[in-house]
Amino acid sequence: MKKIKRVFTYIFLSIASLVSIFPFLWMLISMTNKSVDVTAGRLLPGGHLIENINKLIEQTQIGIALWNSFIIAIITTILTLLIGSLAGYGFEIYRSKGKDMIFSILILSMMIPFAAIMIPLYRLFGRISADAPFIGLDTLAAAFLPTIITAFFIFFFRQNTKMFARELVEAGRIDGLSEWGIFFRIYMPTMKTTYAAASIIAFMNSWNNYLWPLVVLQSPEKQTIPLLISNLGAGYTPDYGVIMTAIVVATLPTALVFFLMQRYFVAGMMGSVKG
Amino acid sequence: MKQSLSKKLWLLLVALFTAAILVACGDDTDGENADSDGGEDASGGETTDIIAWAWDQNFNIAALNLANEYYENEDFNMEIVENAQDDIVQKLNTGLSSGTMKGMPNIVLIEDQRAQSFLQSYPDAFYPIGDYFNTEDFAEYKIAPTSLDGKQYGLPFDTGATGFFYRTDYLEEAGYTHDDLVNITWAQFVDIAKDVKEKTGHPMLALDPNDLGILRVMMQTTGTWYTTEDGKINLVDNEPLKLALQHYKELMSNDLVHLVSDWSQYLAAFNSGDVASVPAGNWIAPSIEAEASQSGLWKVAPTPRLDMEGAANASNQGGSSWYVLNIDGKEAAAEFLGKTFGSNSEFYQELLTEVGAIGTYKPASEGDAYQYENEYFGGQKVIYEISQWMEEIPQVDYGMNTYGIEDILSAEIQQYLDGKSLEDMLADAQAQAENQFK
Repeated sequence: MKKIKRVFTYIFLSIASLVSIFPFLWMLISMTNKSVDVTAGRLLPGGHLIENINKLIEQTQIGIALWNSFIIAIITTILTLLIGSLAGYGFEIYRSKGKDMIFSILILSMMIPFAAIMIPLYRLFGRISADAPFIGLDTLAAAFLPTIITAFFIFFFRQNTKMFARELVEAGRIDGLSEWGIFFRIYMPTMKTTYAAASIIAFMNSWNNYLWPLVVLQSPEKQTIPLLISNLGAGYTPDYGVIMTAIVVATLPTALVFFLMQRYFVAGMMGSVKG
Repeated sequence: MKQSLSKKLWLLLVALFTAAILVACGDDTDGENADSDGGEDASGGETTDIIAWAWDQNFNIAALNLANEYYENEDFNMEIVENAQDDIVQKLNTGLSSGTMKGMPNIVLIEDQRAQSFLQSYPDAFYPIGDYFNTEDFAEYKIAPTSLDGKQYGLPFDTGATGFFYRTDYLEEAGYTHDDLVNITWAQFVDIAKDVKEKTGHPMLALDPNDLGILRVMMQTTGTWYTTEDGKINLVDNEPLKLALQHYKELMSNDLVHLVSDWSQYLAAFNSGDVASVPAGNWIAPSIEAEASQSGLWKVAPTPRLDMEGAANASNQGGSSWYVLNIDGKEAAAEFLGKTFGSNSEFYQELLTEVGAIGTYKPASEGDAYQYENEYFGGQKVIYEISQWMEEIPQVDYGMNTYGIEDILSAEIQQYLDGKSLEDMLADAQAQAENQFK
């Protein structure tokens, strides 16, 4: 009886995993087919992989777009983590009524949709452009600056800081460490898994960010990967083989980051729930 | 308890206040900065750098590049930026409503059915270019969507003139020759579809229930639209629309349609040889030709018309035009457009052979390139015939809300297909649309 149950469990799980992995598989297969075969739903790998890659390199500036996305994603991840964790740490360790109030307002700000602040934000960057062109419209800085301070990460770090043993802070003070020293030399190393989980989320958010970079980046040499893929699909006769190749290229870095940090990711997320 | 409640209330108020300020800032389109861009005026004779936004590398952008080659002006330097069409709409809306013209291009391509919403929402953002070309040289139906209050803002570009592309082998099997398909009505089209289904088993056409393009094509053969010329919603008493909806329902309920849910499936429906015809804008031709094995099996007939007084066997689907923004460099940009897209017949011949784009510049259709006999379509002079149909397309004012009304309509149509009466359905859609687009 137990065996039968187990067989059914495995059959069910196999079907479920097939369903969830199929789109990914199909993407990989389509990358090797030409456009007509992709639209016809061909499920066998074809011989057009090299051709698709060559077309992608010829028709688009995929190298530049990858580079831009990388730069933006890495800077965003580092700054978001640094600012988010400092703020989260501060809110939890140096608690006071006033700070709790500010924190609540911060949380409420998560409810304002980005579309509502996009136009004022654009106007802001438009005005900055005249005085400080290096962070004005159409610069990579403009693409990441509004995203590095987010209520979500402050919340995320604050919740996780609840697990951090307060005694360690006191021990640090007794041993003569400065407050910054406690943060960088005790807090950061202990909270490794939280940082790992946050870095995956921050990296993916930035890597897939579409709306703001779209609006703020104008010249082709500033283009990021999601914008490039959007352009590929916009023709009257889109080449689906090339689009699939571009999507695979775009998916690889996030997949890589995720697999490298998967262990920490799960641990970090668990922590935030427990807190 | 009382205290914590008031605290929450206070917080809520602060949040609402903040949100209100942010949203209000967004609407603040005083445009005070509209012309504060730095840079020299075009008249100075120095090099002018022009930025152009368009979509589709192989079509619109290729056309711009070609125009740039034809334009002999050493002081003119154009950078073309590729953006998907929806992205251009998003970027223009954000930039123009923020009131700063910073980051906006000099030349932008806008689809005809969207143009009025831009022209009417941002009256000072575009530069009238009627003085740079002769509007009478262009297909008449292109003028209404590209102008506002008697001023010409857009330079008409490609035509979305439609054709009834069909598989000769399937139609022959069902007993029809080319002459039987020329200048027919949509009612006849439905009858033919029934025959084709019965004798060959193939559905007549592929449709995406979320895209009502076919209704627009039918409606425009009579020169009517979802809105009247003065901008009123026109659904309830719209006789052509009613007739079109009846044909639509008949096609659907008799299983004469291959249903698809996205563009790639739509392409696959005819590339795989499943459907017998594709009534669509002429820009679909390269996608049909992409399946080399069907060469010689296709032909194109004029678009069926609605069986009503004054209907023409010609309609339009898609097509776009060039616009110049009201910022520094506008004269240079307008001059460039006028000298190329606006008047150069020779350029249009190469545009056709090199890019495959059919313009709406009428004098061009007498050129050699338009006489090309396309072997894929059994030696038919496809381009020439389309350019002839183009001149007969009834003129329509697309108004501001074509796509918004269509979202409402496509939900209502499902109920109509499920048995709701046509009158009730249109009355409901009319009421919804009037509420939404007061």
